[in-house]
Amino acid sequence: MRPLTLRRLLLQCLLLTVLLFFVVVVALKFGAVPVSLYALARDLLRVIFGQSSQISSDYGLIIQNIRLPRIILGIIVGASLSVAGTSFQALLRNPLADPYVLGVSSGAALGAILGLIAEPHLTLAPAFAGLLTPLCAFLGAAATIAAVYFLGRREGQIDSTTLLLGGVITASFLSALIMFLMSIVTSSNTRGMAFWLMGNLSTSFQKSVYWFLAAGFFVASGAIYTTANDLNLLLAGEKEAMHLGVDVRRVRLVVYVAASFLTGLAVSVSGAVGYVGLIVPHIMRFIFGSDHRTLLPTAALGGAIAVVVADTLARTVVAPNEIAVGAVTAIVGAPLFIYLLRRRLA
Amino acid sequence: MSLLLRLAALAAIAAFLFFATPLRAQSASPDSLSAPAFREVVDETGRTVHVPQPVRRIVSLAPSMTETVYALGLQDRLVGDTDYCDYPPDAQTKTKVGGGINPSLEKIASLHPDLVLVTKAFNLPETVHSLEGLGISSYATDPHTVHDIITSTKKVADLLGVPDAGAVVGDEMQHRLDQLQHQLATLPPRQVLFVVWTQPLISVGRSTFIADALLRAGAVSIVDSSQDWPHVSLEEVAHLQPDYLVFADSHSETVPAQVDALATLPAWRILSAVANRRFAVISDAVNRPAPRIVSAIEELAKQLHPEAFVEKPSDAKEKMVKQNFSQSTKPFQDFAFIKQNQPLVTHKTVGECACAL
Repeated sequence: MRPLTLRRLLLQCLLLTVLLFFVVVVALKFGAVPVSLYALARDLLRVIFGQSSQISSDYGLIIQNIRLPRIILGIIVGASLSVAGTSFQALLRNPLADPYVLGVSSGAALGAILGLIAEPHLTLAPAFAGLLTPLCAFLGAAATIAAVYFLGRREGQIDSTTLLLGGVITASFLSALIMFLMSIVTSSNTRGMAFWLMGNLSTSFQKSVYWFLAAGFFVASGAIYTTANDLNLLLAGEKEAMHLGVDVRRVRLVVYVAASFLTGLAVSVSGAVGYVGLIVPHIMRFIFGSDHRTLLPTAALGGAIAVVVADTLARTVVAPNEIAVGAVTAIVGAPLFIYLLRRRLA
Repeated sequence: MSLLLRLAALAAIAAFLFFATPLRAQSASPDSLSAPAFREVVDETGRTVHVPQPVRRIVSLAPSMTETVYALGLQDRLVGDTDYCDYPPDAQTKTKVGGGINPSLEKIASLHPDLVLVTKAFNLPETVHSLEGLGISSYATDPHTVHDIITSTKKVADLLGVPDAGAVVGDEMQHRLDQLQHQLATLPPRQVLFVVWTQPLISVGRSTFIADALLRAGAVSIVDSSQDWPHVSLEEVAHLQPDYLVFADSHSETVPAQVDALATLPAWRILSAVANRRFAVISDAVNRPAPRIVSAIEELAKQLHPEAFVEKPSDAKEKMVKQNFSQSTKPFQDFAFIKQNQPLVTHKTVGECACAL
């Protein structure tokens, strides 16, 4: 492992930030409604300088109220999933670990669907009505990761194979529960639920939700970043890390809680966007090496880029209709993963 | 011990398989023997079906077919329907055979129906094939326009041996639609967004009978998709700015709160229809290709074009009232309109016709 210099870290991040900026501009430009680059630049400058009241054209409003929030959501979801995936892979020392394999997404989906079923029976204030589903999804994710963690414990130790298998089984069990619920629910519209399962970013939230998501992301990834050095040592094995002075229990607790929180955050607003947490860390490790001090921030940026690109495709390929972003990430992600796997074996 | 158990299970399965096959053959044969008269018809999916005549026992696998059977006054011959069949209320008391996608074949077979009514949109081809395998006749409808619904109703009536009742129901529907067309003739259509689901936004495509129903109500869907249930981009909707959102809901009282919730979201707020709370709520009958759809069309027309129905401008409150229309419109309208808000009356009339036959 090459010694880390601040210059190298900043250079890598800068490179990806420029790429992310470019991707965001492209994503802002393309959509169901065509927008010229000039109009885009003008309106963006107005937003940046706090003169959004001057934006009166339909296009400006579409960009400001629909496209930009959606891209921001994509950035947060992608970065969260990717950081969570990176952390799980390091902690479990298993390249297959990712929030979806561990069953967290299914738990969140089950929570969301329970929320959707309960919603008509509750009288909620309009401002809160839209938040019930994400909240239930978050609780579902949290409950699932706790259950999977419990399943993965053997004699007080976490066994990564048991944990992964426990996650896979939990995921399929929860999926079965979802299928059961969807086939017995007669009143609600199951079409909305089905779309939720596939993962999509078309849901709009109140402004405060975006602030909450961003704050949650920075707190949780910051907590994970404090353990970056320990995660590097953990790659050599838990015992070895312990001999080198790593407080393995503390690292495990911090990373588990924070990574689960990130997953719950992402899934509660977007549904099941698969493969991002699995693939992006692998690609970033391939390009920038496996030093977690650079891997975590680059994975965050890479995840953001991946999801924004995937969602731009989801919005534009069959415009004015849309496809679920989860379908795009799975179609691109699965073959890519197999390619990476074969390459590693060769 | 476990070996013994396994052997016992295997034996049980073997015995079941051994007996099941002849049982199936037996259960199919008495039907074909005891029902000498068959009628060969081609249903709306192009399948040739043999239907025993007369049809005495009907199972409906779609709410719309259940409503059609009631509208034709044949409710006494309906021996089973689905969990979703909730209209008229009496339909809820019929024996339930499960959902439309996953009905219990055993339950259907145990009801010994002469005919199972299905729709292409609500049911699966697998169900039809399985019924075929059990020797049970089924007939599928597949209407894509309001006119198709009228034609389907008449064809089903003919198949069930009550062509006159079919003609009465069909002509009544046609008459009310003609009347409506006449009243709306000079008015420009409203641009509407028919909302099936809000987050994500799902609407209806052009080849659905719902899109056609909107046209009949003096409205044009801004969504023009070849998919039946397209996931529509909110951007496109914001660009096209519909005059009204249209919700079809059996719980109409929850819709205003739903729109209030949408108005708090940045992406939805920029739709002027949401910001100004311009929306129409109609009965979910519009989702069902059955005679009652005409009432839903009339409801929508009244909310979108109140000026065509009352001399004085109606206030916003009145627009929301669904069931109490008959009182408020009675003074102005001819008898065809008084009828429309009392679908049960229609059923009764037709029922009497059928009985008289």
